[in-house]
Amino acid sequence: MAASQPFGFVCQGGLDTNTNQLAALGNAGVAMELVNFEVDSDSGYRRINGYTPYGTARPNGTNDIKGIMAYAGGVLVCSGANIMFTIDGATWVNVARDGQNNQTYNHTDFFNLSLEDRTGQGQTSFIYEEGAGAQGTVIILDGDNLPYILKIEGTGALTSRTFHGHTFSVDNNTAPSVGTLHETRLVAASGNTLYYSDALDPKTFSAGAAVQLADNIVGVKSFRDDVIIFCSNSIHKFVNMGAGVNNGEAVVPITQNVGCIASGSIQEIGGDLVFLSPDGIRTVAGTARIGDVELSSISRQVQPIFADIAKVINSYVVTSAVIRSKNQYRLFYSGLTDQIENSKGIIGTLTNDGFQWSETLGIQAHGFDSSFDTNGVEKYYHGDKDGYIYIHDEGSSFFENGTAFDIESKYVTPFYDFGDVGSLKTLHYVKVSVSPESTVTPTLRVQYDYNTPDTPQPPFYPLSSIPVPSVYGQALYDEGAFGGIGDPMVRQAVQGSGHTANFKISSSDQKGSYRINGLFIDYVPSGRR
Amino acid sequence: MATSYLDLTNELLRELNEVPLAVGDFSTAVGIQAYVKDCVNRAYFDIINEEPQWPFLSAPLPANANYDPMLGNVSLQTSAGQRFYQLKVFSPNTTQDYSSIDWNTFYLTTEGVSGETAPYVSKNLRFTTTEEWKDYFRASENADNADQAVGGEPSRVIRSQDGRSFGLSPIPDKAYKVWFSAWVLPTKLTDYNDNVVFPEMYTSVLLAKARYYIWQFKDNPQSAAFALEDYKKGLDSMRSNLMEPVPSYFKDDRVRFI
Repeated sequence: MAASQPFGFVCQGGLDTNTNQLAALGNAGVAMELVNFEVDSDSGYRRINGYTPYGTARPNGTNDIKGIMAYAGGVLVCSGANIMFTIDGATWVNVARDGQNNQTYNHTDFFNLSLEDRTGQGQTSFIYEEGAGAQGTVIILDGDNLPYILKIEGTGALTSRTFHGHTFSVDNNTAPSVGTLHETRLVAASGNTLYYSDALDPKTFSAGAAVQLADNIVGVKSFRDDVIIFCSNSIHKFVNMGAGVNNGEAVVPITQNVGCIASGSIQEIGGDLVFLSPDGIRTVAGTARIGDVELSSISRQVQPIFADIAKVINSYVVTSAVIRSKNQYRLFYSGLTDQIENSKGIIGTLTNDGFQWSETLGIQAHGFDSSFDTNGVEKYYHGDKDGYIYIHDEGSSFFENGTAFDIESKYVTPFYDFGDVGSLKTLHYVKVSVSPESTVTPTLRVQYDYNTPDTPQPPFYPLSSIPVPSVYGQALYDEGAFGGIGDPMVRQAVQGSGHTANFKISSSDQKGSYRINGLFIDYVPSGRR
Repeated sequence: MATSYLDLTNELLRELNEVPLAVGDFSTAVGIQAYVKDCVNRAYFDIINEEPQWPFLSAPLPANANYDPMLGNVSLQTSAGQRFYQLKVFSPNTTQDYSSIDWNTFYLTTEGVSGETAPYVSKNLRFTTTEEWKDYFRASENADNADQAVGGEPSRVIRSQDGRSFGLSPIPDKAYKVWFSAWVLPTKLTDYNDNVVFPEMYTSVLLAKARYYIWQFKDNPQSAAFALEDYKKGLDSMRSNLMEPVPSYFKDDRVRFI
């Protein structure tokens, strides 16, 4: 009788759609499909959290969310023709008011000012200037209206706060769509022109403080000493801004071959600027050598996904943010009218081995932001086409029109040949290392021989006996399992045989999260036919 | 344990830790499932081939309340002047013939023949080899045949070359009834609810032989040898229980003349 053989691997490497099944054998922990899971930076794949409604009211009815930002202990949202603000999610006020420059108003006076009509707002850029005061200042660029500056001071009820808000001009009626704060200047771009304000005065743009490029500017970002200018077909850096051309001010090309295709994709993470290019996510990394710039793709493992996105990029609203506590870069893309359940996204987790990727399905973020509240706590919000605002990465459900629906998650491994593709293997059991965060019942499925119809395929096996660990001082009577450990190995007897086998762990529910750490398989070689 | 094709197949699949079949998937089974189905049939026929005259293969008895089983289980009526008769009437070919005939059980009678009254003809028909018949009877009987089949009352039975018919010698001169014992061919298991023809208690023998083939397929000669041993022991038990359920004594009927 042939003895049973062990095979085990740790879940690491993330989604890899770029390599074929045989190539993936070299890295057993990678996933062929990884939907609504996130790569844990310390290995393992964790089912992502859901999101929960922020408050009870929508900021502006059914109007699409164009931008969102945590600000002044509340949330600032651009939607329809309004700029809405709330501190509790229940009462929203339109803070787009026709105030005067350098004029601060109390609550009553500010909301007695006439409204600024922001009709035609595109995807908005929020530029935060910490400056003086506790709350800082926000500048809003939407590509269709004059820039708007807003400063809310004070804490607590809105009636006790002071407000300062008005539009200002960059260059006559120019309506910049993207911008950044560099050193003490506001840098804003419209078309192929880049404008920069006076130092220490982001509202004042002197004549001639602008540069023109050959390409259309998609995004700008301050990065160390320079401003990186992302064009549709090229990338430049603006050096020595404001010093004058005789003192080294110049636009220096980084590349004329690669551009950025979505301004909403530009983020800074891990000391790099990342952006969406036609061939995936790339970095503009400043190296130790001054002035030298390295371009590199960091999403080669999931390049086919990004290639598909790039083909129809103009039909998507692209937003992104960095989840700092998880070392994650999250990018969401969906059409203006796509159903939430069909809306997709990509999560890149920065690990010791570089970025590792997974996908999301069921999160629509037409506005997405991660920022710190007044207590220094990181907050994440996103808003969808129906005008709902959600607390991102919290809870265990997704929502469509305010109604919760299940999180459909799946992790699919490569097909393993267990070291010998020529021999038939009969699988006896699989041990799944799971770290449950509550009572969870994921499902295991084994498929043989690349899921050919010529090989009998076993049914789904529900993993219904995962003991939830009980932590002393936290566990509640009748909820935890006595003796349950943090990372239990769940043994599941399986059936079938084949030359290769893969494993799929999935769930479709509104239960808590869990992390798959690794799998151990016991099999018996059974012939070479 | 059960006797249906599905149950037998699934019992083996479960033993092998393979995916059992559902009713709906049975006819379209693939891979190892299809192979196990094949092995069940191979093992089934192996058991049949070991003993063609298993009691459970006996041809069905006539549905006649007055039927005497000692006559045999198959009968047919002769016609005047016709020597050969197909053993299984209306059988189109050997695939549907009887699997076995006991040539020592042929019996001739007029009982049951229309118009015949007691006392009836009643005699055993001795099996005669073709060679003996050729040497001693063929010429005269062919003369009878040529002479409008004068014939007579048959006293011997012969076997046709193709084994599908029996002949009577002499050629019958009128209608008789010939009885004999026959065993039928089992049909291959096809549908999920097809049942084996033997009692459930012996399905373990079938499973052992099927297991033998499966372990060979899985390159496991040791387990295959174990399975074959199980099969042989089981088959011995079947033979002992089904073929020889008689007192274990013998008699000597030789007579000494002084």
